[in-house]
Amino acid sequence: MIDEYLAVSVLGGIWPDGLPDEDLGLPASRHWRLLQRVHAPGSGQLSRILDELSPAGRQSVRYPHPEILQVLDPRPLLDEAASIAARYGAGGLLVAETLAAGLTHGHQLWFGTARNVGQALARIAADLHIDLHVTEPA
Amino acid sequence: MVTGHNGRVSIGEELLEERRRRRRAGDPRLTDADREIFRRITTGDLADEFQAALDADLVNDPLLGGHDTDSDA
Repeated sequence: MIDEYLAVSVLGGIWPDGLPDEDLGLPASRHWRLLQRVHAPGSGQLSRILDELSPAGRQSVRYPHPEILQVLDPRPLLDEAASIAARYGAGGLLVAETLAAGLTHGHQLWFGTARNVGQALARIAADLHIDLHVTEPA
Repeated sequence: MVTGHNGRVSIGEELLEERRRRRRAGDPRLTDADREIFRRITTGDLADEFQAALDADLVNDPLLGGHDTDSDA
């Protein structure tokens, strides 16, 4: 299970050190956040540079190549996510679905930067015995 | 590389290695310019702005971020 940073990295052909050499999954809510960058750009430099992506580059974000990563079907995870949100008061779908995905798929969550982890996610992951990994130093 | 009892690489190992190479090479549809944009977003000069945009999604979307967005970012 990977986050938005690692999804973009591996699509671009950069495989960070330590990331397991196995099938990768991206929770749908995290794919949603990537899609916001493509479909609802702001006015900053990030938006301008994303506007320079080729049509194939946009397609790569919209429909990730299935041999590289799979966007996880959120439906089988929803009940577990709702249970986690209710029991821990974790609130948002992003955190709850990510944790449910981690529980269901290998008990591992991989992030490209510590800034994208969040305190609530880290706390609950530890309680659920889900291993958190960050591929770059905090 | 795993080899069979006759010292040759098995068909399965060949297929797995090909699959691994394709996965690590990234999306073949991308141009070099696309790859450079992806690199700038994740580890380059645009990483801070990328993180700010991700954080803003949680603030602007209560379903996604929940109520306690400060700690769920």
